[in-house]
Amino acid sequence: MPVVTVDPDELRQLTGMDRDDDQLREDLFELGVEFEGWTEDEEFELEFAPDRLDRLSVEGIARSLRYHYGEDRGVYIPSTNSAEWTIDVTSPPAERPYVTGAIVRGLDLNDEALESLIQIQEKLHATMGRQRVKGAIGVHDLTMLKGAPATEGATKSITYSSTDPDEESFVPLESNEEMTPREVTDRHHMGAEYADLVEELDRYPAIYDDMGLFSFPPVINGKRTEVTGDSRDLLIEMTGTDQWTIDHMCNIVCYSLSARGGTLERVDVSYDGDAPGEYAGQTLDRPLFETKTKTVAHDRIESIIGTEFSQDEVIDCLERAGLDGTHEMENDSDKYDVEIPPYRVDVLHPMDVIDDIGRAYGFNELPREYPDISTVGGRHERSRLEDATRDALVALGFEDLLNFYMINEVENYRRMNLDQADDALGGGQPVSIMEPYSEEYTMLRTWALPSIMMVLENNTHRAYPQHLAEIGLAAVKDETENTNVAEHRTVAGAIAEAEASYDDARARLQVLARGFNKDLETPATEHPGFISGRTAEIRFDGEKAGVIGELHPEVLVEHDMEVPVSAFEFRLDALQ
Amino acid sequence: MQLPESQVAVLEAADADTDRSITDIARVADLKPETATQAAFALEERDLLAIDEHVEETVELTDEGERYVGEGLPELRLYKAALEAGGTDDGVPLGEVIEDAGLTGEAVDIALANFARKGYGSVDSGQVTVDPNARPDRDDELLALETLSIGNSVDDSDVLDSLEDRGLIDRSESTDRRITLTDDGVTALMEGVETAETVDQLTPELLTSGEWEDVEFSSYNVDASASAIQSGRKHPLRQMVDRVKDVLVGMGFQEMQGPTVDADFWINDCLFMPQDHPARTHWDRFALDDPQKIDDLPADLVERVETAHREGVGEDGEGYNSPWDEEFARQLALRGHTTSLTARHLAGEAMGDLEPPQRFFSVEKAYRNDTLDATHLLEFFQIEGWVMAEELSVPDLFGTFREFYEQFGITDLEFKPHYNPYTEPSFELFGRHPETDELIEIGNSGIFRQEMLEPLGVDCDVMAWGLAGERLMMLATGAEDIRDVHGTLVDLDYLRTEEVLY
Repeated sequence: MPVVTVDPDELRQLTGMDRDDDQLREDLFELGVEFEGWTEDEEFELEFAPDRLDRLSVEGIARSLRYHYGEDRGVYIPSTNSAEWTIDVTSPPAERPYVTGAIVRGLDLNDEALESLIQIQEKLHATMGRQRVKGAIGVHDLTMLKGAPATEGATKSITYSSTDPDEESFVPLESNEEMTPREVTDRHHMGAEYADLVEELDRYPAIYDDMGLFSFPPVINGKRTEVTGDSRDLLIEMTGTDQWTIDHMCNIVCYSLSARGGTLERVDVSYDGDAPGEYAGQTLDRPLFETKTKTVAHDRIESIIGTEFSQDEVIDCLERAGLDGTHEMENDSDKYDVEIPPYRVDVLHPMDVIDDIGRAYGFNELPREYPDISTVGGRHERSRLEDATRDALVALGFEDLLNFYMINEVENYRRMNLDQADDALGGGQPVSIMEPYSEEYTMLRTWALPSIMMVLENNTHRAYPQHLAEIGLAAVKDETENTNVAEHRTVAGAIAEAEASYDDARARLQVLARGFNKDLETPATEHPGFISGRTAEIRFDGEKAGVIGELHPEVLVEHDMEVPVSAFEFRLDALQ
Repeated sequence: MQLPESQVAVLEAADADTDRSITDIARVADLKPETATQAAFALEERDLLAIDEHVEETVELTDEGERYVGEGLPELRLYKAALEAGGTDDGVPLGEVIEDAGLTGEAVDIALANFARKGYGSVDSGQVTVDPNARPDRDDELLALETLSIGNSVDDSDVLDSLEDRGLIDRSESTDRRITLTDDGVTALMEGVETAETVDQLTPELLTSGEWEDVEFSSYNVDASASAIQSGRKHPLRQMVDRVKDVLVGMGFQEMQGPTVDADFWINDCLFMPQDHPARTHWDRFALDDPQKIDDLPADLVERVETAHREGVGEDGEGYNSPWDEEFARQLALRGHTTSLTARHLAGEAMGDLEPPQRFFSVEKAYRNDTLDATHLLEFFQIEGWVMAEELSVPDLFGTFREFYEQFGITDLEFKPHYNPYTEPSFELFGRHPETDELIEIGNSGIFRQEMLEPLGVDCDVMAWGLAGERLMMLATGAEDIRDVHGTLVDLDYLRTEEVLY
């Protein structure tokens, strides 16, 4: 979940409301924004769900609070001046074909405003921007750009294109050295962090003005156009893999800077004929400050929120949510056309509008009713069988264990004297985990006795006898299954004590078999984990189900055991 | 008359004319005093003995009391030193007097406190003045200590109280029992009393031969601990899981069943989770390396799901502006939530098409590549429940949770509007910890989105919720570190001693 840091004084200033810190925290909780703690600089650390990405800055949170307080109502769209600049799009990398932008003039960037501008970029990169893959933001000091119009009367322009990684060079941010894009990704401390975003590309994304290369998206901007506290006019550009995404990231940034007193100015984005699909040869007017409309039925609002609303109440809730609603009659039923402002990226379906109405109304005001529907409850047969078996094991004196499905090759095979090629219980091809996070968990266990042995090993200081059992999952690779994995529940029991013998294990197995009305046979077999001559196959009603025997001294010594262990393991479904 | 051996001995040791103490009786009868007492009471019940009880107080000097008998009470030493320093008329400096009296540490405070209390003089502005008429040689407390030290008793209860307050004596009460033979007792002895046989173990032979009627069973020390045995018991977390299942079955929920290893399609895509959602990166999940993909997915469902992701559902619905690739959806993983079972059930894959109303649940393991800490493990039990009906509302959702959580003592539920990709409206559930009264997050819930339900072929409302079983267990039992509970690091001592949960 996104976390943003916000200065409470800034919130008071931007909302124009004199709420003390505690009141602010309560107001924020009502919005679904949770106070996580104070930062070292005595700012709020706020956490919220990743739907309202328009709240990734102090300006966005202040806007939401003003609606919450009733200070603002309905959809607000800042005015924009007409375009003076064009972004020409000429042969950008095919993997990163899209760009958008806007200009903001007349800003007075104090430290807080600069900090907020940095934070919103970071947070948008981490969320909508998918770590800059889908969308990356560049903010530049406009006065440092030279974009003389190519012909009389035309607008000034910059160009989004591509470059050979080794040919051109520029001075990146936080450096004084001219570097080629490849050098930036090789050895610039910030550039190296994003190297994997471009290293597969033949040509790297590049933005030029009349003076040459000034930005290397999505990796780093040039030092020439660096934004400082003295910057008044800014160019915002965003490149990415999806036009909708960067357009909406841009809207969120524009709304924030507008709240800081900036004047917004449109930019033309002019795609060349090679641009993908619908954008080929098109000129886009940006920022994309258009509203969209969702039609919501009155009945559905009432049925979901579970209370009655008048039309005025619906409109009022919509306006307090920063939306606009118009009542309509269609086929004798009440509907509302609801207008959604351009900074909202979370409204996909009319249900999202109903959620906004509910939040404005106050969900916690609603009654709590048990649904008046009748259903019959019950356990699944598989889980009833598992329970009955566990009860039987516990009645036999076994302590019930709960171990992990995930294990590693060493524990599952090697320390049990077993090889995955062995035709014995526990053998078989492992289901392995991709790029495992820990060496301890690299595969799914093929049997449960290794887990029980690990518990015995960790408890050699505890009193014996230790009679341990587990019913849990085990799996092997199996190409006859749709998932190519055969999962089953396995039943394992071990008796560890000074005089543990085969007889102890078989005695208990006999009781289990009798309880489930299974005819038990245990013909001799061999298993590398057990002592030869004291190992048998478990057969229930003539069907092979598992193995029983005395564990091999090598396995015991490997697990630091100083007492013998007799054990059995079989498939749970064999008791069915 | 037949009596047990000990009773015979006590009866014979008693006398009709002289009352005898239990101690004497026990000595004569060669019994332990407690055995003799027990036998005496048994004989009293048969009216063969009379027991006369009276309570006696024993007073003993403490170590401090013993010391003062030798060196004198601190306040008296102070008096004496002040008197010698000439403190009768004008005061003498306190510091000097204390030094002369040889008082140090605690003794100084003790001396000062009691000096004034007993009227030996006064201390004012660091000057000690003594009362020349005081009679330290007649000090009640000192005299009482001396009397007690030579084994005599003191009757003045005020003095005893104050000595006890000063911690100079220990007083204890003991019951003295004196025994005399009754007339019946005398008669019984004259007629002859036989010793009955006592046995330690009731044997099959005693029972079948009828001999048990003539024997007396020896008494055990029934209060002593017995030898240790191990018992089988269900794992505490399993007990919790069972309890949850009971509650849900009681509320009309039916249990789901399905694969743990499943295709991302069922785990995420059917839940309208965009394929570039941060939770779908491999860091958060356990994708499989071998095997990597499911063989078959239902083609028409795949198409509907893809369309929902790309275009949304409904007249003015919108999709995600995210990539969607069937191959990505076929990837296998350990399920990150049991909602994959819900998706399979809603799609009709698990039990065929379901008509409303329905209630389903599962309490099964889910797997997340989370940072391990006291509250997070890589494997955890997820409690999942959902309700399907023609129409469901937020109050229905709230009411269902209220019923469920009340079963675990969690009341005062609060619902915080929240966001999940597959539910809208969505709520985080908060409840009051029954012991700490803290407001804590206890679950996540919502009404499934149309973008999820429509492709699955469901045209009514479905609400759902989930929470980690471990969290509920930690709440209900106060367990502090989940790593001690679940997995191979478990301490058998914990399993053997943890309180049973029901």
